[in-house]
Amino acid sequence: MDHFHKLKHQVRNYIFLLGGLTLIVMVGGSWLVRSMYPDHDTLISIILLIVGFPAVWGVALILSDYALKPLDTVWRAILHVTPGHTSTAPPDLDKSKIGQELVKTLALQIYQLASTSDSLKTQAAPIQAGATANELTDDLPLPVVAVSKDQIITFANDAALKYLGLPKESVVQKNLYSVFDLSFSDENTLDSWLADCRANKATDQRSWQHARLKLADQTTIKQFDLAAAYSKGNPNGVEVLLGIFDQTTRYQADDNSLDFLALAVHELRTPLTALRGYIEIFQDDLGPSFNAEQIEFMRRMQASAQQLTAFVGNILNVARIEEGQLSLQLHEENLVEIIKDAADALSLAGKLRGVTINYTVDSGLPTVGVDKISITEVLNNLIDNAIKYSGTAKVITVHASVNSEGLVETTVHDDGVGIPASVMPTLFEKFHRNHQNQAKIGGTGLGLYLCSALIKAHGGNIWLKSKEGQGTTVGFTVQPYSALAGKLKDSNNKDITRNAHGWIKNHSLYRR
Amino acid sequence: MDQPQDTQPSPNGRKVLCIEDEFFIGELYARALNKAGYQIKVVVDGALGLKEAQTNQYDIILLDLMIPNMTGIEVLRNLRDPAQTPELKAKVIITTNLEQKEETRDAIEKQADGYVIKAEITPKQLVEILDSIR
Repeated sequence: MDHFHKLKHQVRNYIFLLGGLTLIVMVGGSWLVRSMYPDHDTLISIILLIVGFPAVWGVALILSDYALKPLDTVWRAILHVTPGHTSTAPPDLDKSKIGQELVKTLALQIYQLASTSDSLKTQAAPIQAGATANELTDDLPLPVVAVSKDQIITFANDAALKYLGLPKESVVQKNLYSVFDLSFSDENTLDSWLADCRANKATDQRSWQHARLKLADQTTIKQFDLAAAYSKGNPNGVEVLLGIFDQTTRYQADDNSLDFLALAVHELRTPLTALRGYIEIFQDDLGPSFNAEQIEFMRRMQASAQQLTAFVGNILNVARIEEGQLSLQLHEENLVEIIKDAADALSLAGKLRGVTINYTVDSGLPTVGVDKISITEVLNNLIDNAIKYSGTAKVITVHASVNSEGLVETTVHDDGVGIPASVMPTLFEKFHRNHQNQAKIGGTGLGLYLCSALIKAHGGNIWLKSKEGQGTTVGFTVQPYSALAGKLKDSNNKDITRNAHGWIKNHSLYRR
Repeated sequence: MDQPQDTQPSPNGRKVLCIEDEFFIGELYARALNKAGYQIKVVVDGALGLKEAQTNQYDIILLDLMIPNMTGIEVLRNLRDPAQTPELKAKVIITTNLEQKEETRDAIEKQADGYVIKAEITPKQLVEILDSIR
């Protein structure tokens, strides 16, 4: 019997002992009760004893199993890498009942230790550390990859090769990023963590939920949780050990819900397209014969349809952000044009409330590196909010300038009702609304959440300054194009004009 | 109320094929484009649309993605395949309300000349877009 099973028995016996004592106290109690209520029978105590002990034993069994499962996993991992225990099966890392994340990381650490520790290596002729680790991890169901500090994959176990669907020679001794087309759900990527580790840490562990990679066939996408262990100056040259916990099926379900949403959005947009088209016909063909009130109604219809269209787009984007599927297409753009388009698009909604939208831009404003559609959405949302909350003030000012950090900052200012200090901290959260105004002002509470997510995805910052009764200023920053130019692979798309509604290629026909 | 009479526009000589199964939208686009001097034919089915594009020359093809009998992506692929459509002069603009997955979007960016979310534009704005395409 190994140590682990001994421990398990001990724990079980203690629980049983404790349960038994409790039971005896209960039986004693029932005797007392019986003496107070003579109608009760001794049978109760006997039944309690007969039923009680097996029940307590059962509970002890289940509890010890549940509580010790994580330890079992770690124990198995240790045995699995210990010479002389080659027949021990590797642990199933997904079966831990409590502390699964921690257990996975621990188990992974054990495998890393095994790959570096001398005492765990086979005593035969010197074998490369990578090779030893490979032997040790080959029958592990978990894909494991070790990477050197030059980002070269020094070994990958069988499970990893199978996962990638690639032969060994296409993986080992190749650059990590040429093999793994990795993407993460936010800016905390493997790369940023590595950079941090190299600068500040000797060892570290980290895990990511919902990372994805595109396989060599360029169509299959695998989705997984990733665990990584970092160790500086490792003598065998392994800097990072990566473990992949496949979650494709689970995250696929999220994708499917996104598919459903895309379909729902399609179904909403189709009648909206028709509605907007027919409103336009009414306006053009019948507009001249309308009286002032009818013209006003027409405008309201038009603005409402436009508002609904924008909202439908917002829903899809929020879903994308939450599924980590938002992909920005950064290009060199002229911010003035984006601001002008957004101000024009909302001028109708403004007119209905008697609000004028002004915009000013500092001279010599550099071009920016942004996703035009996303920034248009941010501005639409911010200007729309300003219109809704403008109160009796009738002017909204949009201004763009370069701030002290060299970032391009855009502000949307209104002199309206302002925001109470109590709700300021939660404004950028989802479904937050200024409840005081809820009855008067429509909205869903998605707007600022979406803006914040889109700006953060651009690597920018969004902030809000407001005082109740004294208006609100919302500002956001984006990078000047010059700061990104080196990073953007713009060459393929230079001839595309992007607009809020889509894009059109500028030159020539499609080239075969 | 009397229906106002449209003045017949002077044709601009450009031919548009609109592959679109939503009757209302097809009608709206036909009306707006006709008014602007375009000659427009609306086809409500992917396979028929492809056949029409292979038989007659157009300047612009407006292609919806969710259409019966053959998806827009398949039509697009066939239009770009020299073996299937040897002499395509038309520019192909995807007009859709369907948001794309990354894989499809790449294909569209490579093979189409434009991409428009229908709900985001009115028929008159479509005319402006087509006017800008030369």
